Amino acid sequence: MSNKSTIELIKEKSRQLRGTLAESLADEHTGAIREDDQALIKFHGMYQQDDRDRREERAAKKLERLYSFMIRLRLPGGLLKPEQWLALYEVAGKNSTGVIKITSRQTLQLHGILKSSIRPTIKAFSEVALDTIATCGDVNRNVLCSANPAESSVHAEVFAYAEEISRLLMPKTRAYYEIWLGQEPLLTEPEEDPLYQQRYLPRKFKVGIAIPPNNDVDVLTNDVGLIAVVEDGQLMGFNITAGGGLSSTHGNPDTYPRLGTVLGFTDTKEKTLQAVYGIALVQRDFGNRSDRKQARLKYTIDRMGVGDFKKELEKRTGFTLLPARPVTFTHRKDIFGWQQQQDGNWLFTAFVENGRITDSKDQLIKTALQELASTGKGQFRFTCHQNVVVSDISTADKPAIEKILEQYGVAQYTASCSAVRKNAMACVAFPTCPLALAEAQRYMPSLLDKIEVLLSKYQLAGEEMIIRMTGCPNGCARSYAAEIGLVGTAYGKYNLHLGGDRLGERLNLIYRENIGEAEILEELEKLFAAFASGKEAHETIGDFAIRTKWV
Amino acid sequence: MLEEPKHQLLTNLLSGITREELIWINGYIAGIIQQPETENKTVEDPVKPATGNKLTIVYGTETGNSRKLASEFAAKAKKLAYQVKLASLDQYRLSDLSREQNLLVVISTQGDGEPPVAAQKFYDHIHQDGFQLPALKYAVLALGDSSYPLFCKTGEDVDIQLGKSGAQRILPVCKCDVEYEGDAAVWFQQALDLLSKAAVLSTPKQIISQTASTVKPNKILYEGSVLSTVNLLDRKGKERVIQHLELLAEGVAYAPGDSIGIVPENASAAVQRIIDLLQVDPETTVRFREDEGTLRQILTTQVQIQYLHERVVARYAALVGQDIPAVKMDLLQLLQLYPPTHATWQELIDLLPAQSPRIYTIASSPVAHPDEIHLTVEQDRFPLETGIGYGCGSKYLTELSEQSRLSFFVQKNKRFRLPAPDRDCIFIGPGTGIAACRSFISEREATGATGKNWLFTGEENFATDFLYQTEIQAWLSTGTLQKLSLAFPGDDPLNTIWTRMQADAVELFKWIEAGAYILLSGEKNPMSVQVMAALEQVAVTQGHFDTANAASWLEALRAEGRFLKDVY
Repeated sequence: MSNKSTIELIKEKSRQLRGTLAESLADEHTGAIREDDQALIKFHGMYQQDDRDRREERAAKKLERLYSFMIRLRLPGGLLKPEQWLALYEVAGKNSTGVIKITSRQTLQLHGILKSSIRPTIKAFSEVALDTIATCGDVNRNVLCSANPAESSVHAEVFAYAEEISRLLMPKTRAYYEIWLGQEPLLTEPEEDPLYQQRYLPRKFKVGIAIPPNNDVDVLTNDVGLIAVVEDGQLMGFNITAGGGLSSTHGNPDTYPRLGTVLGFTDTKEKTLQAVYGIALVQRDFGNRSDRKQARLKYTIDRMGVGDFKKELEKRTGFTLLPARPVTFTHRKDIFGWQQQQDGNWLFTAFVENGRITDSKDQLIKTALQELASTGKGQFRFTCHQNVVVSDISTADKPAIEKILEQYGVAQYTASCSAVRKNAMACVAFPTCPLALAEAQRYMPSLLDKIEVLLSKYQLAGEEMIIRMTGCPNGCARSYAAEIGLVGTAYGKYNLHLGGDRLGERLNLIYRENIGEAEILEELEKLFAAFASGKEAHETIGDFAIRTKWV
Repeated sequence: MLEEPKHQLLTNLLSGITREELIWINGYIAGIIQQPETENKTVEDPVKPATGNKLTIVYGTETGNSRKLASEFAAKAKKLAYQVKLASLDQYRLSDLSREQNLLVVISTQGDGEPPVAAQKFYDHIHQDGFQLPALKYAVLALGDSSYPLFCKTGEDVDIQLGKSGAQRILPVCKCDVEYEGDAAVWFQQALDLLSKAAVLSTPKQIISQTASTVKPNKILYEGSVLSTVNLLDRKGKERVIQHLELLAEGVAYAPGDSIGIVPENASAAVQRIIDLLQVDPETTVRFREDEGTLRQILTTQVQIQYLHERVVARYAALVGQDIPAVKMDLLQLLQLYPPTHATWQELIDLLPAQSPRIYTIASSPVAHPDEIHLTVEQDRFPLETGIGYGCGSKYLTELSEQSRLSFFVQKNKRFRLPAPDRDCIFIGPGTGIAACRSFISEREATGATGKNWLFTGEENFATDFLYQTEIQAWLSTGTLQKLSLAFPGDDPLNTIWTRMQADAVELFKWIEAGAYILLSGEKNPMSVQVMAALEQVAVTQGHFDTANAASWLEALRAEGRFLKDVY
């Protein structure tokens, strides 16, 4: 393989992700960290950003850019205990913009943290057993798992895999504890890391676990997917998929979104974990380290061919994957409102538009969650659709919890929003995301207002269609896996994609390129009109668009 | 020892001199000898042409690569004794272009052949019609990514436009791809070679014209105009204002450490309220001392109308024949509460004190900022029963708009001067005390002084109040500053200048014992008192002095001329 990319060299000489981060923190003349450390800090769960709106004026004031950091928690399966919420709430108010953001990968992130506040923030997390290790960077990211314990008898058993895989694929370096928590530095050579060695993975690496019949984690969009195989209420094992990933680059035909390929089935816990670990090993050794736009596992698999990839994997694990078992998904969404869990406890799923936990005129969701956490009852579970589940509420406690949910308008808001809005997602984009080409989360709510009007006009208001928007082609909000996808191309312009399926098993295709709101609404109206008159029984809008050859 | 002409002068002087005269001369000469050596040296510094050739390096950066390169170039050029000015294009004053001699531009190209956001203004500026820079020598280093169709377009555009302006291109534009380091280093070396050849041929340039100061050495009034003015603080509200002013001051001689005096004008709104209250024609001619003018002019420019002294209030009471308590009052208040029924306007004006000049430490260096004087002025605010009160001088200065004119004089401060160029300096200037530090450090940078520099400064909060942050960062990256110690007690109450000096005590004491000079500027109380206590504390912990000896140690430094203060 040709020249290694710059990032590869930074990783290799970083002494296991230490780099000069300690020196960067000590540089008191700047709110930024040194250039190479900006790549390394991602492995510790942070991104350096700056307020793009303030650049020009601050330059005239002889001040540098207003640098701050986004910090992302590691929450396997999205589970958070009430006491952890309380600590997070406090530190968010003190050190960040105050908005707590639920990400599309089931975790929480804070924005606007100044360099001098990073250590106090991480220390506050640490005191309640939270960390941000490896939530960004070329490593295994936050592990996803179906969030809803009411939907399956094996939920708790499967859920434990998320935590286990997260630990299995965690970097072995103590750098995080030394740099951010002030623990004694190593006096000897940096730690051995049999998985990541000194070079880590060529690119980000995402693992998701789905429990049928709900594909709420969009399992096939992950580098590695585990689909639980449940027979007669017993967990039999997992179908293993590999090579999912959505990011692409406009104008670069060598990049493309891809759904995972089913490789086979594992029937024991040991083999399941070995298979996941083995895929990471093959990707470590065969992934492209010179071109970061060709470095994801999906390209490695397509370059090697699925057959050779599987052979290499089985060489690493020492066993042969069994033939995949049949599994059936029936839906891909959060089930809102109250549900009884199989253990008799209760849960409530609340809708949080675009995952922004902040008090607004719609609902005082942040205050409500704070009050709920203060009762010490239940747990919070964040979903891949950026919503929150308050779970494990006993029947005796349920009335008190209901009261809080109503007092702050949460129950009412969740009940009042349309199906299309509750299934929709948008990524962060402007103003903080440096990759954004177009608006997403700031714009999507107002676009949905107009789409709701159109749907009503064609008596489609109850339709459960999935619409997703991203401000760039990287697909954080999984727009390529939506029935209707909008992918930003320039400010105010989007590519309109149609034809994705309801369950996340077929990607959509480009229908119109680079169009603004008026055209988007015009095209959608044509589609809705045709769908209303021509759809077959139980046909989804994605399937309809394919059958009637819109794309 | 004396040369013959000097010896002759001395002999002539001593012949027939009285004993009293001899004793006086003896004391006079002893006084001169005791003055710090530095004073004599620095008197000539401001007019001494710098050793090196001038070189300005500007950069337009999006990702930081151009900045990195430009900083490296600047550091190298400084080592070769160039007088280097390094600036990001979003901070580069476009009106300076016509005064540059040698300019290197390092600039990247974004996506569709566009300049970085930070360079947009510069880019537009040089694209104006009729833009002329006949005296400039320049070269452009363009950064880009050859996978984009308009590779290095911005750099090419800049190169072409500067060429059209009549400037002399010393090297063809160099277009660098993603792996730029090697090409960039070669280009810079070529540029330096060409510039150093050119420098040998060019004649040294007179830096400051001395015509004005030869007429009357003290209190000459100069007329200047405001080139630019900006509030350095980036706070949401305007609860504090610290203004950086750049004045065009051609031919004004001063040395770093000097101040300027300005006579502030009273706010036009305040003058208008007085005129409205008394329903008088503002164009009425009145006299004040030797000057004659309209009432509005005199009230605006000549007299004090705020916080009139008790003595003035008493004079007013006598004039209007009323009982008035002896407290400080504004003229407007007096006129409202105790209407001057029988007095004439001329009588009223006669009893007002003349507006007194306000003194501000200069923040610029005559070598680094030729023909300019910079100031760092905090707007003085204080609570009054009726609202917020403003200091007259600082309000006037901070609210001056660009292009407006003002008159000022130079207030020499011979006791506050840089030491010889090879001496080490510790500059301490929190708050607006940074003004003098900026003047000194800019001067040392521009003249290639070889001594080390250490700066202690700070304000309330790092993110919003770091005065001259990007300039200080440039001094660090070019090696002008060896050490920087900052205190932002608004972020952390334990992080004060005092605690910073204690934290750095070992090195601080080492510097001082090795002969470093300490130059302290800023607020007198409590800042300068605390800094002195902090220095004494350093002597106690590091030099094992007891408290009394520590005080004499500092006093000895002062007497030696190694501890210099300019506090207010």
